[in-house]
Amino acid sequence: MTSDATVPTADGTRDPFAPLDVTWTPVSTRLARARLTVLALWFGPLVLAGVVVAVATGEPWVWVWPGVTAALAAWQSWLIPRQVRAMAYAERAEDLLIRRGILFRTLVVVPYGRMQYVDVTAGPLARRFRIASVQLHTASPGTGASIEGLPPQEAARLRDRLASRGESRLAGL
Amino acid sequence: MSRSAPQGEQDVVDESVPPGAWRRMHPVTPALKGWKIFVGVLLVAGYQLTDNLQQASSLLEGRGWLIAIGVLALVAVVGFGYSAVAWRMTRFAVTDDAVHLQTGILFRQQRQARLDRLQAVDVVQPLLARLVGLSELKLEVAGGSGSAVSLAFLREGEADVLRAELLALAAGLRRPAATPAPGVDAVAAVGAEPGVPAVTTAAAPVAFAAAPEHQVYEVPMPRLVLSTIQSSATVGLVIAIGAAVVTAVMSREVGAAFFVVPMLFGIGGFLWSRINQGASFRAATSPDGIRLRHGFTEARAQTVPPGRVQAIRISQGLWWRWSGWWRVEINVAGYAIGKEQQQDTVLHPVATQDEVMTAVWLVLPDLGVADVRPVYDAALRGTGDDGGFTAAPRAARWVDPIGWRRHGVLVTQRALITRSGRLRRQVDIVPHERTQSLGLEQGPLQRRLGLASFVVHSTPGPVQPAVAHLAAPVAAALLDEQAERARTARAGDRSELWMRSHLEPAPAAAPTEPAAPTEPATPTTAAPPQDPVA
Repeated sequence: MTSDATVPTADGTRDPFAPLDVTWTPVSTRLARARLTVLALWFGPLVLAGVVVAVATGEPWVWVWPGVTAALAAWQSWLIPRQVRAMAYAERAEDLLIRRGILFRTLVVVPYGRMQYVDVTAGPLARRFRIASVQLHTASPGTGASIEGLPPQEAARLRDRLASRGESRLAGL
Repeated sequence: MSRSAPQGEQDVVDESVPPGAWRRMHPVTPALKGWKIFVGVLLVAGYQLTDNLQQASSLLEGRGWLIAIGVLALVAVVGFGYSAVAWRMTRFAVTDDAVHLQTGILFRQQRQARLDRLQAVDVVQPLLARLVGLSELKLEVAGGSGSAVSLAFLREGEADVLRAELLALAAGLRRPAATPAPGVDAVAAVGAEPGVPAVTTAAAPVAFAAAPEHQVYEVPMPRLVLSTIQSSATVGLVIAIGAAVVTAVMSREVGAAFFVVPMLFGIGGFLWSRINQGASFRAATSPDGIRLRHGFTEARAQTVPPGRVQAIRISQGLWWRWSGWWRVEINVAGYAIGKEQQQDTVLHPVATQDEVMTAVWLVLPDLGVADVRPVYDAALRGTGDDGGFTAAPRAARWVDPIGWRRHGVLVTQRALITRSGRLRRQVDIVPHERTQSLGLEQGPLQRRLGLASFVVHSTPGPVQPAVAHLAAPVAAALLDEQAERARTARAGDRSELWMRSHLEPAPAAAPTEPAAPTEPATPTTAAPPQDPVA
């Protein structure tokens, strides 16, 4: 576990976002690479265009534009791996735990018996990086439980497992 | 009606429905629905024309009148014609397991609503329909927006019979006789001549008697009007009028005050709809579930079977504090957020504390505590750890300086009760077995202060239960324990086919909750109040 969630908080109590007796499975680091690729695809041309314009005009203040975009890109590329490392899930006997966020942290507990359906999606870029995302739907729109950056076979396994567990604990609402 | 396309030919055949079971809506339906289209078109046209009245009046000079009347006639013909064809193409059937509905002229749609997933049955009577003695039957099946099955329009008596039948079937009772309907009622006459009404809309044989009702409370009209006036909307209205007068005086021109007119209409419309929807509000119990009747122009009778209420919210705006009134709202799956949200999610539009207790008792007979009154006192008005609540710690005052003492949570044997709001007081109740999923949230400031917010995810509706700014370890422990409690409660939940567990009684003989408004929340299992979390 590379995440800092296991570190005790400042006042010495255990972290509320790291329940005991739970083994967290981090999502694939390929998700970070996929997101960084998207970032590069967006910011690369922007920075490049800024540099070209700055060189062409020769005015020093024009460098502000590529400078700011480059700084933004650098900040994002520092943040994205950290964010991805903070994302993890854990399968317990009766429910699934999903954790995300560094600054604003959330932890969701989704009981298998409450699952209405499971979505597995993978876009072209995600397929290239061999990742998929699994989204769990309950009767509540607030659940918002999705796990991004799963290896495809893990996503399929999780989907089947969730489906079978959901079935055995079938309940209405 | 030239388009008498034979039904069933190109349709996907629904084999689970015996051909004789198909029924039609009442033949007056197209008149009522076509009227709606006509009025809608008129309103849009009128709205467009008011923008430029002079131009509009010039249109009506000379031959203009004829053209206008011609257009109106055309709109009427198209509207009513469309409705008539739509009516002809619509049919429904009730089997033991589901309600089947076929609609659509060009794009045929077949909808099948499973009765064991029935969340609520409403009988709605818009003004026009009420005048001619028709009503609409709406079934909510919790499939997200647009999943309701609407049977419009049926004869009043027929709708009531059908409702009783649907609720009895949903409760798990069986039809007494195997033959549901004699062939006379059938829509089987598919290829019948267009001119002849092919189907009778006579009521199905009465298979189930309507469950007896027992009225529990009624909202007095004066109180409803007074409470509606006594609200922020009225304050807004007064301010708007004041602003209008001031601008008129300052600019010495009456026209300058007209900018508030849309606002007045908005606020006035809101106040009117509150009164209109809440008028003659009555709640009753029956073996079918709770029954709410309300509405002035549009009468609505809702039936929510036992265990279908997902969460309850009791709230009190600032202006109601001195009168001690509360508004009680509920989440029912299927009563999703939409334009009708305000109408059907209200359990009590304006209640005293005693009535709040009665109303909650209606949908949640056992709150899981031995003595409910102190719990309500603490929940509705208390702060800190009154009444056994687990409250937000002192550190929370940095993130919520006004209301921090109100944030609190109480776990009973049957439900989770959360409390919040100093100016606008709010109490949410979620039965353990109705919990969907749980969450924990923490922002940077909360993290520094050692706080975390606990969230309960419920079905869409007015109630979104959460406790903000609990001590982080308390919130974490609550998350764990609540997940466990919800699981245990769910395992014992018997709300689907809710009468099947009883010994096959006739519907009328089904065990009725003795309605006791004076002693609302006497728990059936005298459970001691459980210790709060942590």
